[in-house]
Amino acid sequence: METLKINGIDRQFPAGLPQTLAQLLKQLNINEATVVAEIDGKIIERQNFAQTKVSNSQIVELIRFAGGG
Amino acid sequence: MDELIIAGRSFNSRLLVGTGKFASCELMAEAIACSGTEIVTVALRRVDIENENDDILSAIDRSKYLLLPNTSGARDAEEAVRLAKLARAATGINWVKLEVTPDPYYLLPDPVETLKAAEILVKDDFVVLPYINADPILAKKLEDAGTATVMPLASPIGSNQGLKARAALEIIIEQANVPVVIDAGLGLPSHAADAMEMGADAVLINTAIATANDPPAMAEAFKLAVEAGRTAYKSGPPSAGRKASASSPLTGFLRE
Amino acid sequence: MVGPSKQRADIKTILTDKGLDGCGRDIWTKRLGEITPAEVEWVLSRSPGYYVLDRLLILVSPAAENYLEQMAQLAHQLTIQRFGRTIRLYAPLYLSNYCTNSCLYCGFNRQHKFERTRLTIDRALEEAEVIASEGFRDILLVSSEDRKFITVDYLAELAGKLRDRFSSISVEIYQMSQAEYAKLFKAGIEGVTLYQETYDRSAYRHYHPGGPKSDYDDRLNAPDRIAAAGMRQIGLGVLLGLADWRTETLALAEHAHYLIKRYWQSQVSFSFPRLRPAHEVEGSQFSHLLSDKNLVQMITALRLCFADVGLVLSTRERAALRDHLIKLGITKMSAGSKTNPGGYSGRNRAVEQFEIDDNRSPAEVAAVIKKAGLEPVWKDWDTAFIGI
Repeated sequence: METLKINGIDRQFPAGLPQTLAQLLKQLNINEATVVAEIDGKIIERQNFAQTKVSNSQIVELIRFAGGG
Repeated sequence: MDELIIAGRSFNSRLLVGTGKFASCELMAEAIACSGTEIVTVALRRVDIENENDDILSAIDRSKYLLLPNTSGARDAEEAVRLAKLARAATGINWVKLEVTPDPYYLLPDPVETLKAAEILVKDDFVVLPYINADPILAKKLEDAGTATVMPLASPIGSNQGLKARAALEIIIEQANVPVVIDAGLGLPSHAADAMEMGADAVLINTAIATANDPPAMAEAFKLAVEAGRTAYKSGPPSAGRKASASSPLTGFLRE
Repeated sequence: MVGPSKQRADIKTILTDKGLDGCGRDIWTKRLGEITPAEVEWVLSRSPGYYVLDRLLILVSPAAENYLEQMAQLAHQLTIQRFGRTIRLYAPLYLSNYCTNSCLYCGFNRQHKFERTRLTIDRALEEAEVIASEGFRDILLVSSEDRKFITVDYLAELAGKLRDRFSSISVEIYQMSQAEYAKLFKAGIEGVTLYQETYDRSAYRHYHPGGPKSDYDDRLNAPDRIAAAGMRQIGLGVLLGLADWRTETLALAEHAHYLIKRYWQSQVSFSFPRLRPAHEVEGSQFSHLLSDKNLVQMITALRLCFADVGLVLSTRERAALRDHLIKLGITKMSAGSKTNPGGYSGRNRAVEQFEIDDNRSPAEVAAVIKKAGLEPVWKDWDTAFIGI
């Protein structure tokens, strides 16, 4: 079974991984306009979400702005 | 005009506002509006996948406020640099409030890691606003490294204790060639006025506004306090300072 | 019971122990000469307004002469902080020039032959009215040692009649007993100015050869009696030129410090009378005359050690100098003064105590004060409020 580590937690994809980062976000119900993403420590620019492929065992960080001082 | 100038950009308001700890996004937005601020800080956090979160950015009108992402959560220079780059990727802004706080209790900034991160980020074309303890030497070193401001704390984050670091802050203000933004620990509008009367260029307030009973009202109070303090400072309050300030000579007549 | 070791020494003992009554003259001069610029810079970096003998020593030293501008700026700032941007104005009213003393420096010396004048109560009131019409509400009643006529009762009666017209009445007269001072206080007089003239015992002996004033110790202890009697203001000073000004300043400061500590409800002020030409008094007999520079150093040094002491300037000094001194820590000055009894109404041409060198009218002096960015204050304190 394919997995991704998303925000520190292993997540399984019994139906198979989404092909692109954009699709992953859609699957997770996350508005892509509000997040910034890192895959394996590399920052992915938002304009590239649709073109960026995801593969098994990658470490994905999905980050958005929150309140802070 | 008495504008605040940071990295070549001018601002009318000398009150920076943080967005953490508010009860709701609406309250936060209203408080920000009442504060008259032009610079608003935000943090970066992992998206909570399980729960639908409000997107804070939708509550902040980016045409009115400059978004200033901070690197809170970073425990060393490497993490801080990473967060700064993430923020830049998210917004296209290269301004960052550099916060490196390994200590989870008092959230005091690590001077060594902060300086390290600052040097890296400045070289990478960031506009760096470093959050530090009130350490005059560190402030000068950061300035030398090219940061746009220094942001010394008045007292620990959220402690609302006011200007505990007064003596050191005075020295920093006296010696700084970049704007000094007093950040953290200012719990009352009078503290903010006091900071401005001391000669600070600006102050950053978060906890005191967010956790007030009436955040928008408190935000306005801080706005007025900052204006009052600045006006007082500019009108030249007398001070028994350590050095005599240059004004017209008083003993020139003895040489006539 | 407070044992002897805990009792505070009296001023006589303090001055003798520290060699500031003349016996330690040479030692102090030597110490003053040894002060370095580094020590001056150190003192000037401290928060001003605190008296420590060693700090004042540094500030009045020859080494500090190169730091006058910095001292002046600090003194100016400190004065504004504590006293505001104001200068109080007062006028002296000379009541008599009959004198039983023979002080060598004074125009009223009993040895000098001239027609003496003393004012009756009514004449004094006439003079006072002229003073009041100029705007003054703070008056200083001055007299030579004329105990026969200018008695405690005379002064009390005069003060009683002046109370409606003046909100502050002080006296500068011969030394009295505590009971006599108390009587004056009850009559509405709130301050007494009494100059030691010189703290140097041998100089004192030389310049006061005869009369009641020749008693150094009685003179020295008089301010204690003044304060103990309840007087609110105590005016101290030395006649500058009788002895070395630097050691005199140290002694003066010790005296003030002693009084401030012991009588916390009274305010001390310093005056700076510099020897001036007077009737039958020549400048040549005095070997310690001060330059303007010395005077500036003394005024600013004292201000930097005493944040809340008043600094008073009389019309002995020339107009131009007074205008500059205004910004150096002075808090009170006279204007349009006449030091001859009856001089205000111009009725007679009595002999002056000393020659005035600032003949401007009070209005002119007030204008100069305003120009210096300060506000002239004519009336400062109203005893009516406290129901005396």
